[in-house]
Amino acid sequence: MASVWTDIRAVLPSTVSEFPLDFSEKIELSVLKCLELSRDQLYSEADCPVSAERAQIIIDYSWEKLNIGTWRDVDKEWRRVYSYGCLFKVLSLCHGNPPQNIIQEAIRTCDMSLLMGAAIMDNILQRLVGILRNKIKTTSPNKAEWSEEPCSKKRKHDCKSEPVLNPTKEVPRIHCPSLERFRSDFLDSKKPVIIEGITDHWPAFTQHPWSIDYLRTVAGCRTVPIEVGSKYTDEEWSQKLITVNDFIDRYITGTEEDGVGYLAQHQLFDQVPELKEDIRIPDYCCLGEGDEDDITINAWFGPGGTVSPLHQDPQQNFLAQVVGRKYIRLYSPEETKSLYPHESQLLHNTSQVEVENPDLVKFPDFSRASYEECVLCPGDVLFIPLQHWHYVRSLELSFSVSFWWS
Amino acid sequence: MSWFGFGFNGFGQISRADVSGQVKCKVNSPVLISDDECKSGVNRSDRRIRACWSSRADLQQTQSGSGVYLSGCVCGPSAQVCVSQGCTDALISETHLTLSFTDRVELWEIKPQQNQLVWKREHELSAEHTAALPLVSGGFVQHKPPFFHPLKLCAVSLVLGSEHALLLTADGTLYSWGSGSHGQLGHGALTSLEDPQAVEALWGVPIKAVAAGNWHSAAVSSGGDLYMWGWNESGQLGLPSRGLEEEKRRGNGSGNDDQPMNTDEKSQTDVFISIQAFPALVDIANMSEISRISCGSRHTAAVTSAGDLYTWGWGQYGQLGHGTEHSTDEPTPVDYFSSHSLSVKDVVCGSWNTFVSVVPKETSSVLTETHPGLLN
Repeated sequence: MASVWTDIRAVLPSTVSEFPLDFSEKIELSVLKCLELSRDQLYSEADCPVSAERAQIIIDYSWEKLNIGTWRDVDKEWRRVYSYGCLFKVLSLCHGNPPQNIIQEAIRTCDMSLLMGAAIMDNILQRLVGILRNKIKTTSPNKAEWSEEPCSKKRKHDCKSEPVLNPTKEVPRIHCPSLERFRSDFLDSKKPVIIEGITDHWPAFTQHPWSIDYLRTVAGCRTVPIEVGSKYTDEEWSQKLITVNDFIDRYITGTEEDGVGYLAQHQLFDQVPELKEDIRIPDYCCLGEGDEDDITINAWFGPGGTVSPLHQDPQQNFLAQVVGRKYIRLYSPEETKSLYPHESQLLHNTSQVEVENPDLVKFPDFSRASYEECVLCPGDVLFIPLQHWHYVRSLELSFSVSFWWS
Repeated sequence: MSWFGFGFNGFGQISRADVSGQVKCKVNSPVLISDDECKSGVNRSDRRIRACWSSRADLQQTQSGSGVYLSGCVCGPSAQVCVSQGCTDALISETHLTLSFTDRVELWEIKPQQNQLVWKREHELSAEHTAALPLVSGGFVQHKPPFFHPLKLCAVSLVLGSEHALLLTADGTLYSWGSGSHGQLGHGALTSLEDPQAVEALWGVPIKAVAAGNWHSAAVSSGGDLYMWGWNESGQLGLPSRGLEEEKRRGNGSGNDDQPMNTDEKSQTDVFISIQAFPALVDIANMSEISRISCGSRHTAAVTSAGDLYTWGWGQYGQLGHGTEHSTDEPTPVDYFSSHSLSVKDVVCGSWNTFVSVVPKETSSVLTETHPGLLN
C-alpha cells in the first residue's frame, strides 16, 4: 500500500502560490497569522509535519466563532477558517505512516469539516476522506447483521407494538401515477398518498441492497450526528458525534444500555457520495418551483422504537422507505387547534400530545381530530404535503430517505 | 504585588519567545509575568492587566507617568510595545484598543503597520467618571461599529460576553440583554433581548461584582456568594457537564497520554446541565466568600477573601493553572499560590488564559495581625 502521506500530499497544490488564504476582513489578523504559518510550514524545505498544535488552535478559535449567533448568521468565512484548521490537522496526522487509529482520527476530522465547516479548495476535504477511507482496514463482520427478524435488539419494554390500522383511516395507495395525476389529485389538493413502484429501480434495492453490512462497508468509519433520547422534546435528549460503526454497535445491535439512538435528519448523502448514488430524486419533485439543488435529502436510520413526535415542516416531503417499516399518522393543518402545539417559538411546529399515548385530560380535543395512518414498507414513498402534521414510529430496524422540496 | 499568568501563550502574551523565536503555546502552571519596563521599584500596586485572545495589555505606572504596554500578537512574540502615556484604563480585543484618559476616551483600530484612531470622545468633565471600561459617561464602548452605545441606566460595572451584556447599578441590581440562546441572560428563557432587563431571580440579592464569558455569566453577591448561568458545555458554570463525562469516557481523545477515568464509577449525579437559564448558586467547597470573579471564553476564575484562587471550565490550553490540560466542572483551587505562600488579590481572564495578582502571604498576615479589622 502506498504511503498515506504520498497520496494525501498529491492532492495538495504543488506550490505555495496555488494555496491562497483569502478571507474577508472579518477574519482577524491574529488567526490569519496562524493560518499563514501553517500553510508556509507545509511548503518549507524541511520535511517536518505541519504543527498539530497550531491546527488545533485554528480549529478551537473558529469553533467558538461558529457558535456565536444562529447557524444562519454565522459568517461563512469562519466556517472556511474552521475547514482550513481541519485540513492542517489532517495533514499533521497523516505525516509519515500513521497507524489505523490515527487514520480514523483524520477521517473524523474531515467529517467535522464537512459537518460544520464550508467547502474550501475545491472541496479538498471530501477528496481527502475518500482517500483515507480506503486506507482503513475493515474487519469482516462476524455474522450477517442484516436481520430478517423485526427485532435485532432485546428491549426491556415492548414499544414496538404492531399497530392495528383503522381501514377507514388508511392513507390511500397509488401505483406509479403520472405527473399530472399526482399534481391534480394530491399535490394541489394537499392530500397525503403512498406512491408504490417508483423506487424499484434504485440501486439501494437492486445492485447494492442496503443492509447493516453494506452501510458498514460504505460508511462505517464516517462520523455522523446521532440523536440520543426517546424524542427531541424530552429533557434527556442530546446529540453526539460518533462513527457509523459505533452507532450500529451501540444503538442498533447492542443492548439497551445506551438508550435510544437515531441517525435522524442528517444530510448523509452529501457527506457520503457513494450512498447518494444508490438513490434517485423522485420525478414528481420537478413539479415544484425550486432547482434540484434546492432539494434537501435527509437520512433517517435507527432501530425499532425511534419516535418523531407529531410536528409539521415548511416544505413538501417525499418519505421513501428503504429498510424496515414505520407507523405514520397524519393530521391536516386544519386540525392544528386540536393538536395543542407548543407555545414557545422554538417548538411551535411541534405538538405537545403523545400521539400513541395521549393525555386526554390535558388535551381533550385531540381525540376529536381526524387523521390518516399507515404502515410504510420498503419500496413505499409517502407524500406528506407541506405543513401537514406527521408522527412517525419505527416498528423495526429502519432506514428512510426524505426529500424536502418546494 | 506581582502578576502571574497561565494558559494560552501562542503569541507570547504570557511569556515571550525564547532566543530561537519559539513560543510555548500552553502554559499550564502559573509563571511570573515579567515587567522589565518598570524596574524603578515604584509603587507597583497600580499595575493592571487586560487580555484578549492573542494579546495582553499592561497598565503600568512608571516614573515618567502611566502607560499601556502591549504583548502578544500585536507586536510579535518577542517584544513589548508601549502605546500610550497618561492612560488610566484600557481594554484590548483582537481588533481594537480602548484607552481611557482623565479627559477623554479613545478607541484605536489595531492595524499591522499603524494603529488608527476610529472614535474619540471627550468626557463630560462635570460628571466624575470612575467606572471601569467599557463604561464611559453616558454609555459604553464596544469594539465593533457603532462603537458608542448610550445607556439610560447609571451603571457602576458593565461586562460584555461574545453576544450579551451584564450591567450592575449602584444599588446592586443586575441587568442583562443581548442573545439569550445559551441561557446567558438569566431570565429563564432562550429568547434574546434588545434592551436591559433586570435579572428577577436575583431580586433582593445585592450584587457587588459581575463577569461574562463568551456564553456564560457570573455574579457575586455582597455576601460573597457566587451565582452562574449560561452555557455549561465545558463545566464553566461549575455544574455537572455531560460533555466532560463523554470526554472522560473517550479517554480525553485529543492525544493525551493520561489514563482515562475509571468508567465503572457512576458519576455522583445522573443530571447533567448543558444550559442553565436561571442563576444557580455555585457551591465552592468549604469556602470563604468570593471577592473577585472573571471569565474567559469558556472558563471561570474566582478569588476568595482568604486569598485563594479557584478555577473551572475549559482547560485545554492550561488556563485553569492546575498543571494539566484537563477541563473540569468542579471549582478547584490553584495550589501553586498557596504552596508558594502567595495570597491572591485579583484575577483577570483573557479568552483562553488567566492572569492573577498576588502578594506574599507574610505581608497579608502581618497586616491582619496589626489590623484585625481587616479580617472582615
